[in-house]
Amino acid sequence: MTEELIDEGIDNYRKSAAFTDAEKVALEYSELMQFAPEKIDAAFYGRLREHYTEAEIVELGAFIGFNVGYHTFFRTLDFYPMFSPDGSLVSQEESRRIYGEQPTSHLKGALDRATAGTGDQQQEGGE
Amino acid sequence: MSVIEPIERDLALQQGLGDFFGSCEKLGVSDELFPRILGHVPGYAEAIYEAMYQSHALGNVDHSIKEIIRIQLARHAQDPYFSALRSKQALAAGLDEERIDAGSGDFENDPQFTAAEKWALRYSHLMYRDPAKIDSAFYEEGKEHFTEAQIMELGGMIALHYGMQVFMRTLHAHPVEQPED
Repeated sequence: MTEELIDEGIDNYRKSAAFTDAEKVALEYSELMQFAPEKIDAAFYGRLREHYTEAEIVELGAFIGFNVGYHTFFRTLDFYPMFSPDGSLVSQEESRRIYGEQPTSHLKGALDRATAGTGDQQQEGGE
Repeated sequence: MSVIEPIERDLALQQGLGDFFGSCEKLGVSDELFPRILGHVPGYAEAIYEAMYQSHALGNVDHSIKEIIRIQLARHAQDPYFSALRSKQALAAGLDEERIDAGSGDFENDPQFTAAEKWALRYSHLMYRDPAKIDSAFYEEGKEHFTEAQIMELGGMIALHYGMQVFMRTLHAHPVEQPED
């Protein structure tokens, strides 16, 4: 696993040769869960079943849901990793300088893909 | 019932989920469907259900305000399953549908909620609509009403329940004993 592959999995997984069809549908599952869950219908679960067992789908879905819930909460707490990429213990201020801008750098592409053709983002239509 | 069918009840009992079914029956949130869906991955069923129960039914923040928050979030997630369920513990303590609806409405201007309750409701309301507004000043205001432990209890409960509500929404699941919409 490299940073380049992580970025590819967020920014370009649909066209990338680095991922299998099974991996691509798992990445799409994650992207849609956060940004357009209304697109995850029975047909989408049918696509997942072409590659995964029911148990594996539940494992993926609950894992994704857990991360959707918690990462937004963690964001509000404004905390950063204790260690730099080389393993050194760093202050929160230093860690913010090292990591601070990275988490949001890829969101727009994922959001644009997930909401393409739907008009509004799901979160706006909640209640 | 759900895009992912729950495992058979007997299999769930063999996996040791019987104690959770007792909690489901006693509290009402969730019913047996949720742990039986998670039962496809037994380790998940135990860990996630237990964490959801701990954060919702136990702890040091009033259960009734957490129940209002849980339903507010489920409605935002557009999840018919968790939106329809009600905590028997909260109902027994006097929580009613009018107060639940008020918690999803104009709670800021509603005199039935205390300043502490309004902060807690605002916390969950903003978390998945406008999290940038939950900044250090927002948390400082929260500390006027809650301890840091209580704020973590609320934040963890909000994150876990919302995440599972979004997942259940995609399964198009409905409560076992409720009519489907």
